[in-house]
Amino acid sequence: MKGMSFRQFGFILPLLVLISVFSLWPVLQSFTYTFFDYKLNDQQKAGLYFSDRFNLELFSESELYVTLLLEEDQASVTNEADLNKINQFITNVSNLANQLGTGQEEKVIKINDEEKEAVLRLYEEGLAVLDALQTYQTPNTENLTFIIEDIQNSIIPPNFIGLQGYKQALSDTRLFQSMGITLIFTSISVFFELILGIILALILNQSLKGRGIIRTTSLIPWAIPTAVAALLWMYLYNGNSGIVANLFATVGLIESPQDLLSTGTGAIFATILADVWKTTPYMALLLLAGLQTIPKSLYEASDIDGANKLQAFFNITLPLLKPSILVALLFRTLDAFRVFDLVYVLTGGGPGGATETVSVYAYKVMFSQTNFGYGSIIVMFMFFCVAIIATIFVKLLGTNVMDKN
Amino acid sequence: MKKLFILLLSLTFILTMAACSTEEETNETNEPTNTTETENENTENNETSNMESGDKITIKFAAQNDNTPATDAVIKAFNESQDQYVVEWILMNNDSAQMHDQLLTSLSAESDAYDVLSLDVVWAGEFAGAGYLEPIDVNMRENNINKQDYNSGSMASGNYNGKQYTLPFFPDLGLLYYRSDIVSEEDSQKLISGDYTYSDLATMAETYAGQAETKHGIVYQSKQYEGLTVNVTEFTSSFSSIEDGLKNMQMFTKADWVPKDILNFTEGETHVAFEQGMSVFARNWPYQFGRIKAQEEGVTLSLDQVGIAPLPNGGSVGGWLLGISKYSNHPEGAWEFVNFVSSQEGQKIMSTQGGYLPGYNPLLEDSEVSASNEMLAYEGFKNALSTTIARPVSTEYSKLSDLIQIQAHKYLSSGEGLEDTVKQLEQALNE
Repeated sequence: MKGMSFRQFGFILPLLVLISVFSLWPVLQSFTYTFFDYKLNDQQKAGLYFSDRFNLELFSESELYVTLLLEEDQASVTNEADLNKINQFITNVSNLANQLGTGQEEKVIKINDEEKEAVLRLYEEGLAVLDALQTYQTPNTENLTFIIEDIQNSIIPPNFIGLQGYKQALSDTRLFQSMGITLIFTSISVFFELILGIILALILNQSLKGRGIIRTTSLIPWAIPTAVAALLWMYLYNGNSGIVANLFATVGLIESPQDLLSTGTGAIFATILADVWKTTPYMALLLLAGLQTIPKSLYEASDIDGANKLQAFFNITLPLLKPSILVALLFRTLDAFRVFDLVYVLTGGGPGGATETVSVYAYKVMFSQTNFGYGSIIVMFMFFCVAIIATIFVKLLGTNVMDKN
Repeated sequence: MKKLFILLLSLTFILTMAACSTEEETNETNEPTNTTETENENTENNETSNMESGDKITIKFAAQNDNTPATDAVIKAFNESQDQYVVEWILMNNDSAQMHDQLLTSLSAESDAYDVLSLDVVWAGEFAGAGYLEPIDVNMRENNINKQDYNSGSMASGNYNGKQYTLPFFPDLGLLYYRSDIVSEEDSQKLISGDYTYSDLATMAETYAGQAETKHGIVYQSKQYEGLTVNVTEFTSSFSSIEDGLKNMQMFTKADWVPKDILNFTEGETHVAFEQGMSVFARNWPYQFGRIKAQEEGVTLSLDQVGIAPLPNGGSVGGWLLGISKYSNHPEGAWEFVNFVSSQEGQKIMSTQGGYLPGYNPLLEDSEVSASNEMLAYEGFKNALSTTIARPVSTEYSKLSDLIQIQAHKYLSSGEGLEDTVKQLEQALNE
């Protein structure tokens, strides 16, 4: 921003704000999660805590149950001292609940050391009451053990774990397996999309009759929502009635039609085929834009010089198309690397995790296990890989543009 | 043409945008909010005003599709039994894992989309531990409900840390169905007694496959989903003999008397294959009996062709529970519905119309129930009831089950790496 006047800066300010709100903030948020053992389905870990917290909701519930169960159990207690102990405990529990809960509407509150001590003392007292009840035949002893335990569980210890999550990720074989699958998927599918995309773009670039219709229809696969396309392919690949599966089996590509979705290689092949079908038009569209910038005069000149079509393609079309190819590759590689919907609907990551890409793995950890801490770490790994890929392409693209200058 | 293209384009963009925005919404639910209490107050006011105006309060009930008419009937009966609430059935995904994720996402967003949740027995601990369910002990006391009256397995699954969170929707257990018109009397006795092994079953399946226009010997569930965990539990005798169990399962998978796409079989494919007379044996839940009895669409078998036996190592306990969402706006009404369905009246409907096993114990002796649900009187069924086994218990059940599915499916589909699979499973189970 050297040499930029205040006025000039004012023009790009809204853009900077937009970028920070919509791009940087979510990334930073995810980044923060990676340092915490953050699991939504665990009441002691369902938040980002640096210091001790207190689960008021759980404690009020415990209070209710202590009163309920102990009042029932009291009936079978005969010793006066034990009865006093029980009554004292009930009073103490409700006193503490009132003390901590007064004026609080929140479910989880901050507590200081003193209050924490009080809760722990209450827990000890509860254990003593349980001990006293041992001598009697009371109906609720078993349940009461858990309820008393929950008094202690109301204290939420800090769940900041620093870099431990990353350490765990580095020894997570499933993460690396999914990373490998993603790389295989990305490289093969993008490779075929590029080849087919160039061919399709060349065809679309010809001045044929009804060119508009051809261009539009060839884009249909790309226009269909991925989830719908995945379902469509799922029916085509079905081992019993799927046309494609049966066709492959007849041709001899696979032993039996069921192998397509029930073996690892078959399923990866199936996903790649569906992806190539779906995104080749997109590739072609990007390349077509590049093709149209190549001046016709160059071809006329080469024609006069006696070059054939093939020579013209390799000496004129390809070199001039290079920037477009790089842009298209950049888009597609990043896209394919993050593939989720196609795999999730078509195979769900199966069979046996053979098609589980990093995104699908991250989804499973985050949403099936609601482990947002570790899930964010996986996402960070993905972010890291995507950043590397993008840098490589941008570097290539940059040198290419320089050459031209 | 161009216009059409632009239209298609913008449609795709809108769809993608919509998908993104919903995801973000769920992501932003991390901070605990304290609106529930105030919401409850508001809704109480609403309830009274609703009642005054004669409008019924809608209770939203999340449950999977029922292949029998029972769930519809029980909802109808509840709606007719009182005039305060009306229950609306929200159909959930039939793939249990997807339903689990859907519920979890919704509940972690503190959404009030569902009031009453039907939960697989293995989820109750997880949901209760996460604080998504309302404990119901107080309600049970007020209604003088005795825990002993309900199916003990279901009640135990719904008890987390000393608090009861659920009542049974319907208990379930894995059964072996066989074609009594094909299987010989001698074999039939052997099956009913439960005194046989998976190798014996394999021999029988091989012998009988192809007879009386059957195509397969046996069908069971082997797709990579929760059903695979259940079947692996049964083959490995609740993971006590993992290696032998998996070997057996692999032998079944590759056998020519088992459908070639058995690795994609769920309950749906299983009941279709069996009730259309294509398979001699089938491992399935009690609902399949209800389907055959009701002669649902596509069923070609009649009840006298069907026998029931315990599985070699015992059948897995399964079934569904009813719980109340902590974020429900109408916990009172939700409780009314849960109480009704699990009560004698509701369970009677479930049992007589759906062929489900009653979760309310006194009904097992009820003459009307046993008259309309012949299965309860079958000797093989009684034997099965006494030899049930359980899926592994873990606080991180979905993670464990996910791993079992992946490992087992990988081994079953490739037939390689048994040692490694066994090692991985043992390690995960011991954690």
